[in-house]
Amino acid sequence: MELIAIVICGAAAVMTALLVIFSKNTVHSALWMVGNCLALAVLFLLLNSQFIAILQVIVYAGAIMMFILYAIMMLNLRAGEEGDLKKNLLNGPFVILCLFFISLLILGVGLSPMALKGAMVPSALAAFGEVNLIANYIFVEGLCPFELVSVLLTAAVVGAVFLARGDTQHRVDQ
Amino acid sequence: MNDYQSTYLILSAILFAIGTLGVISRKDAIVVFLSIEIMLGAVNLAFVAFSRANQSAEGIFMVMCVMAVAGAEAAIGLAIFVLLYRKTGTINIDKFNLLKW
Repeated sequence: MELIAIVICGAAAVMTALLVIFSKNTVHSALWMVGNCLALAVLFLLLNSQFIAILQVIVYAGAIMMFILYAIMMLNLRAGEEGDLKKNLLNGPFVILCLFFISLLILGVGLSPMALKGAMVPSALAAFGEVNLIANYIFVEGLCPFELVSVLLTAAVVGAVFLARGDTQHRVDQ
Repeated sequence: MNDYQSTYLILSAILFAIGTLGVISRKDAIVVFLSIEIMLGAVNLAFVAFSRANQSAEGIFMVMCVMAVAGAEAAIGLAIFVLLYRKTGTINIDKFNLLKW
C-alpha cells in the first residue's frame, strides 16, 4: 500500500520535473515546479516527517516560487523564443549525464542497507518527525549553524535589495 | 519490515539526474535556476530518507539549512538576473560574457 503511494507520488515528481525542463514557456516551467514541490511534500509525508512537508509547501511552493514568478513577470520574456534545447545534447553532456546517473543509482542502492541502524518499529517511526524533537535538536546541538543561517538570510536579502535597486550613484558600471 | 529506503534513493537519483539535464541543456537562465531547485529537492529527499533510517534529526536539520540556502540563492540570483536583463535585454546564458577576459 505504501509502495503504491510512493510510486504514484514519485511518478508525479518525475513527470513534473521533466515538464519543468521541457516546457517552452518559462511561466509554465515555474508552475510545473510548484507541482514538483507539492509531490515532494507528499513524499516527505510518506517518510513520516510532517514538519518538513509543511515547510516544503510554505517555503518552496509558497515563498520561493512566488518570488521566481514575480521575477519572470518583471523580466517580460517572450514565450518560446529562448526555450530551445541545445542541438549538441547527444554527443558530449548526455553521455556524462548517463554515467553520472548510473553511478548515483549504484551509490544509492548500495548505500541503503548500510544506513539502517536501529529497528524501524512503527512507534519509533511515528515519533521521528515530531516537531519537538526537531526543535530540541536545533536549539541544543545545532544552535550555532542555525544562527549562522539566519545571518546568511539577512545578508542575502540586503544584498538582493542592493543589487536590484537601479537609480543610485553606486551602480556597478555605467 | 520493509521501509522502501532504496526506492526513495532511486527516486532521488532520478530527480537529481533530471535537474542536471536541465542545467546542462537549457539556455534560459530562469529554467536553469529551476533545475537547480529540482536538484536541491532531490537531495532533500535523500536527506530525509537517510534521517528516517538512522532515527535522528540531523538530516531534518540539514534539509532546513538547504531550504534557507535555496531562499538566499533565489533572492541573490533573481536580483542578478534583473540586473543583467536591464543591461543586456536578455537572460540567455550564452549571451552572458561579462566576466570573460
